[in-house]
Amino acid sequence: MSLSESIRVALDSIRANLLRSILTTLGIMIGITAVIAVVAVGQGGQQSIMKEMEKFGSNLFQIRLDWRRDELPSGTEFTMQDIEIIKANVPELEYLLPCADTYSQVKAGNKAKSAQISGTEAGYACLHPLEISTGRFFSDSDCQSGRRVAVIDEELARELFPRSSALGKKILVGNQALLVCGLFKAESSPFAMGIKFVYIPTRVWLDIYPDGGISYIEGGTRNPAEVKTAMQSSIKILERRHRSENLYQGVDMEQQIQAVNKVTGVMTLVIGIIAGFSLLVGGIGVMNIMLVSVTERTREIGLRMALGARRRDILLQFLIEAIVLCLLGGITGMALGVGGAFLISALAQWPPLVSWATVLLAFAFSAAIGIIFGLLPANQAANLDPIEALRRD
Amino acid sequence: MIKMERINKIYRPQSNPVHALQEVSLHIEGGDFVAVMGPSGSGKSTLMNVLGCLDTPSSGTYWLGGIEVSSMNSDQLASIRNRKIGFVFQNYNLLPRMTALRNVELPMLYAGVENKKRQARALDCIEQVGMLDRIHHRPAELSGGQCQRIAIARALVNSPDIILADEPTGNLDSASSLEIMHIFQSLHRNNTTIILVTHEAEIAAFARRVLHFRDGRLTADEILSPQHLKKTPLPKGGEDI
Ligand SMILES: Nc1ncnc2c1ncn2[C@@H]1O[C@H](COP(=O)(O)OP(=O)(O)OP(=O)(O)O)[C@@H](O)[C@H]1O
Ligand SMILES: [Mg+2]
Repeated sequence: MSLSESIRVALDSIRANLLRSILTTLGIMIGITAVIAVVAVGQGGQQSIMKEMEKFGSNLFQIRLDWRRDELPSGTEFTMQDIEIIKANVPELEYLLPCADTYSQVKAGNKAKSAQISGTEAGYACLHPLEISTGRFFSDSDCQSGRRVAVIDEELARELFPRSSALGKKILVGNQALLVCGLFKAESSPFAMGIKFVYIPTRVWLDIYPDGGISYIEGGTRNPAEVKTAMQSSIKILERRHRSENLYQGVDMEQQIQAVNKVTGVMTLVIGIIAGFSLLVGGIGVMNIMLVSVTERTREIGLRMALGARRRDILLQFLIEAIVLCLLGGITGMALGVGGAFLISALAQWPPLVSWATVLLAFAFSAAIGIIFGLLPANQAANLDPIEALRRD
Repeated sequence: MIKMERINKIYRPQSNPVHALQEVSLHIEGGDFVAVMGPSGSGKSTLMNVLGCLDTPSSGTYWLGGIEVSSMNSDQLASIRNRKIGFVFQNYNLLPRMTALRNVELPMLYAGVENKKRQARALDCIEQVGMLDRIHHRPAELSGGQCQRIAIARALVNSPDIILADEPTGNLDSASSLEIMHIFQSLHRNNTTIILVTHEAEIAAFARRVLHFRDGRLTADEILSPQHLKKTPLPKGGEDI
């Protein structure tokens, strides 16, 4: 019997027991729905994180003090002198920026807002995709002379100066008045979470927060291939200067991506296990109903054999019926899963990612369940004795 | 066409063996019309199952159209059943979800006949049994006699060498039984080999030859005289079925 005929017979028999078939495929449907939805949302999230990290740049690295240590030995903090010496000794470096962060109040007139106050240097604007909309980022000479200037994001600017442009206005950070020399477009990523940013020269930052210190060093090379060596040479110099080991930790893009992949890998595994169990249960349901179907249709099987069906024709017929049943569940599940993914993503505010691979995988998986769990009933049908089967009522 | 030599069929040979067929030898020519008679349990259905390649004999040899089938495997037997044998059952055995037309097409699906030819051939055979006006009906919408006619059409579609009918009129009233027998008679006239099991002498009277069974043994082999045949009443219009 041809494949199209077999499928027709399968659909006929599914239609004849519609309610039962729908209930049977429910398990498969729910399993596939869950997998598709979770994977789509997960991949969408991963892609968002990756995009975020790509902004970080592949020619970038950061060196931080080991954050796992409760107490750092004294004399290990980064100094401005470290920066000068590293710059002089690591030729691959294009930029080396001492950076410092804190979260604090920004005032203008009678308004006050919280923002992240980041001390950095002119090179920051080159290493990061900061989009300056008005004015400029501070220059090297601003940094060296310690001019009291600030670059703030547009949203903060609007909140502090609702009536006029913030450019050229004074803002108050800590006890220092700073001149707004540039505005940049606020990021609209879901991970920014509404945080406002203020960039000021590191020297100025250290003046405002004399108790704080440089919290990390950011380096950039001309060639992305040189990031590792530049980072390692820098760390060596720091270790030698501060006579300590394993205290300075470098991070580059590659390591960050690996870290994210590790997290998503674990997530995928957990989802996979849950999905596996739900599909297993669904598959057992299909097997059960197929066994019922074989029993109910014993006479039909006997007749088909009498009319010339070979054992493998019968086997195939029931196998195809099981596969069609699972695919119906799988396809419905896919549709529901994609819908669910868009719904969840709308709430989580990142785009879902429904890849062809996921859809194909779900499709293949439902078919595979049909084959695995259809095999026993189909085999039972194929091994019936035609005379016995014909006599059954 | 058919040659059986010392066929035995023993059910449950280990525990308490039932000798359903014992040393049956027979020869049936192509185009013959044979009735098989005998009391209940005498082995008539068992004989039909062996003849129809649904079952294999415990011993003995069976040639069908010059081929020895007693030692074939199940796939080969399926193919023989499909191409060489047409079954007609007492309870019709039509698939309830399919229309009459689809039921008749069924044996051709396993013969791999392509779609268009399949339908044309099915309609041909349905016409032979006079059921063209009911092709889209399901079995539940047909009378017993009509169901049996569709079943005969189904038995005919692959142009089998023999038609095997195990009590085809067993579930029918006498009027429908006569109609069915006239169909068999016209098939016989077209040189189809027919073997038919029956309890009723009036039905057996349509055949040319009657085999009598008792306790699994062939006890009598009777050729009915042509005069006898002529004596069977033909209803009006019976000729043009
Ligand atoms: N599968 C089986 N297992 C055991 N014994 C069987 C089996 N099938 C048939 N028999 C026995 O074989 C003998 C012949 O049975 P068969 O069905 O051929 O009789 P029959 O002549 O067709 O009878 P009826 O006229 O009642 O249909 C009977 O005694 C029956 O009990
Ligand atoms: Mg019988």
